Amino acid sequence: MGSDRPLLIPLDAPGQWDEQLVGGKAAKLAQLMSAGFEVPRGFCLTTRAYEAFVKEAGITAAIRMELGRKSLEEMRWEEIWDAALRIRAAFLAQPLSGLLRKTVAEGLRGFDASTLLAVRSSAIGEDSAGRSFAGLHESIIGVRGQQAVEHAVRLVWASLWSDAALLYRRELGLDPAHSCMAVLVQEMVDADCSGVAFARDPRDLHRECAVIESVPGPCGLLVDGLVDPDHWELDRKTRCIIAWLPGQRDDMQQHTPLLEARDLEQILETLLSIEQLFGWSPDMEWTGKSGSLTVLQARPITTTVPDEDEKRAWYLSLRPGDVRLKELRTRVADRLIPELEAVGQTLAAEELESLDDQLLADAIEVRVATIARWKKIYWDDFIPFAHGVRRLATYYNDAVQAEDPYEFVALLRDQPLVATQRNDAIGHLAQQLAANAMLRSSVARLLAEYAGNLHWPAFRDALMRTADGAEAFVHGFDDMNDRFLDIAYDQERLRDQPEPMLRNLLELSQGPHPSCRNQPLEGDSAASLRKRLLDAVGPQRREEALDVIATGRVSWKLRDDDNLLVARLESQLLRALDVAAKRLRALGRLAGQGHPGYTHVEPMVRALRGTSTVPVKLEATAKVSARQSSFTPPGESPRQLTGQPASPGVATGTVRCIRGTSDLGTFRRGEVLVCDAIQPTMTHLVPLASAIVERRGGMLIHGAIIARELGIPCVNGVRNAAETLKNGDLVTVDGHLGIVTVGAAEFDLELAVKST
Amino acid sequence: MNNPDEPLINNSDMSESPLATAAPAVRESIQQLVDKQPYAVLCVQGNGQPYGALVAYAFSDDLRHAVFVTPVATRKYRLLSECDHVALVIDNRSNKADNLMEIEAVTVTGRSQMIERGREFDRWSGLLVTRHPYLKSFVKAATCALFRVDVVRFLHVARFQEVSQWVPTARS
Repeated sequence: MGSDRPLLIPLDAPGQWDEQLVGGKAAKLAQLMSAGFEVPRGFCLTTRAYEAFVKEAGITAAIRMELGRKSLEEMRWEEIWDAALRIRAAFLAQPLSGLLRKTVAEGLRGFDASTLLAVRSSAIGEDSAGRSFAGLHESIIGVRGQQAVEHAVRLVWASLWSDAALLYRRELGLDPAHSCMAVLVQEMVDADCSGVAFARDPRDLHRECAVIESVPGPCGLLVDGLVDPDHWELDRKTRCIIAWLPGQRDDMQQHTPLLEARDLEQILETLLSIEQLFGWSPDMEWTGKSGSLTVLQARPITTTVPDEDEKRAWYLSLRPGDVRLKELRTRVADRLIPELEAVGQTLAAEELESLDDQLLADAIEVRVATIARWKKIYWDDFIPFAHGVRRLATYYNDAVQAEDPYEFVALLRDQPLVATQRNDAIGHLAQQLAANAMLRSSVARLLAEYAGNLHWPAFRDALMRTADGAEAFVHGFDDMNDRFLDIAYDQERLRDQPEPMLRNLLELSQGPHPSCRNQPLEGDSAASLRKRLLDAVGPQRREEALDVIATGRVSWKLRDDDNLLVARLESQLLRALDVAAKRLRALGRLAGQGHPGYTHVEPMVRALRGTSTVPVKLEATAKVSARQSSFTPPGESPRQLTGQPASPGVATGTVRCIRGTSDLGTFRRGEVLVCDAIQPTMTHLVPLASAIVERRGGMLIHGAIIARELGIPCVNGVRNAAETLKNGDLVTVDGHLGIVTVGAAEFDLELAVKST
Repeated sequence: MNNPDEPLINNSDMSESPLATAAPAVRESIQQLVDKQPYAVLCVQGNGQPYGALVAYAFSDDLRHAVFVTPVATRKYRLLSECDHVALVIDNRSNKADNLMEIEAVTVTGRSQMIERGREFDRWSGLLVTRHPYLKSFVKAATCALFRVDVVRFLHVARFQEVSQWVPTARS
């Protein structure tokens, strides 16, 4: 790796096709250009330029810090995405050195200042014959001027470490010490139509047939799947058209083929010539018709090998473009969420007690089917739409180049989330208790009296008898219960569990509720960030930026709401099962105590329909709360745990692990909330907490966002947090550094030990 | 519905990946580190003045004791005579200098005591000489003192900030 290797190589430089230096894409284009094919002129910033940049900017250490925090197998996709975002921010935070800037200027000397350029990744081994990693790295089009090129180059470099690339790190052999990327800067070619073409049918390489697809405008529309192409199949020998399938587009001329016979013939001719030149059948991206046909890319055809990891392929599909995100926004926000709300209300309003056994069994099955349908929608539409927040993150950071890559989060603020409305209602009830000492002490006394066996009607009546002002509180509690707690958590209906909530209210009443403090949040307001973004993108992209903000905000709001709305459906299933259980128990056809869960659906339906005479046995269903806390081997104890610094601040307190419904009521003000993941069903505990520690990692997950909103330190992504930490442990949570220190801040002095 | 956790990115065997390292148990990590690293920074003090010196060491199999030697005409010998509170710092930074996240370190705290010549001396010096044969004549010299550290605890640091404590007990 000597410094004699060039930083820049023009595409038309003779014989400069070393793939280790210019990457696969550039090497092949240079060869094509040299062989006389029409290729957009340009230059390649070699892998040496990448190496020089990361060395000067100290990026390798930043990448190692991100990827070394915990082993990649233990990182969730959201954490991988966070790591990639921070790496991207590290690339953008450093300007190019004088030498690299001079190098770029030298490359741009061949173009007018007004020339539109494409800045494209050219990674080593990206397009090998065995497998194509197309789409893992970025290409930026429509770039104009030196400054914009420098910015785009850093984005393309950073995409070597994109979340998608990290998912394929093994296949790509990603290693911070050795991996590098070349960047291709080419003139953009303006053409009426573009497309892809295969020298052989990629579905069946043995067929003597070439495949050509074409769309109006630039090729990116086809590659990104945004426009349906015209599709031809041509006989390789006779060159006759075997098949033509018009694309399904909105344009008026969709039934007129985009390409004429001579255009097709020239594309086929080009394919066969490339095949002869390289010795393999190419997959080619092209633009322009006959006479101006330009090759944008050529690589060996890779037959579609199913990814051995379907989840990984699914994750990659979660990167919808702006057009798809906008479609999703309309579908999810305008149709699906209102429909989900309406379904929940309909099921909640249904009178179940009066139904006969058959109809009750029907009602249970309808609920099961409804939940299954909405869970499918959740994965198919809601989760992909959640990408809207990530899109906003990259859009904001690319434009503003903020020092803190999570600065954009303030743009998500001030939305009427269901969880926020619920927490406001809880805060209001807590205020009532705080303002009425008699009511408060009555609630405390009755809670002690009814501990572990609290039936709300009896409690309510007792409270009304003993405390002035109890009526408003009781009505408020009933209202809050109906509106917000008719949800399932840990296989129980929260509205049937008033005790934990009453205990939480007592705790909340002992101090000001943060939502009532209404203190200005630290940092910038949504309005100032919005202005910063709009100033950065300029008037031409104003509408686009506003759209990205709007989509991001709706995406975030619904990401929070949709969980609660689906939990409402689950609650309605549990209600129906409870009615059935009561009925079957009275008939002696159900044994066992407690509430039925999802695993009892089938036997209960059979029992109701009379198709089974075997009594249903209620066995305890596996709950999250059943998990035991014993992880650390004897003699060993954690002293300092690490995770992501998800919300800044430092706090010391005792640990309270929340593993299920029964733990909710045990939480005391000032404790450190430790859990697997903050669910939307438990966000009301957050204002009581001095700090939060979660196993689940991510800067954009519920716990992190709420903690930041309330100014509570939060460290998440802590391995085995709820198993390693025990109730009563004293911990210090450092949300600036992502560290949880166990035990007193200072050790006792070492005690003398007896000599053996 | 609980907000479903997206799956971990990959459950397949990643042992060959340079970025992937599964965490062994703390005791095992400590054992591996002290086995591989022959030298430690000995930390001592006297009259409020901290002092550090590099020493060659050996640990007992149960990791409850470490031994090292020092000439008597040294600052560390004098300070050890004044105060038996010591620490040893052992790390692998010289092997991983370019990657902070791969560096591991152990801070051992405990009490030191000089071992007088005799059977105990032979036992503990034998442990040291087995590991560092070049110290054989050094250990025998009349002006050399052998110290044993009775370990109170180990603090193991990995991945820059991950700290675990291990207190060796009779059972371990």
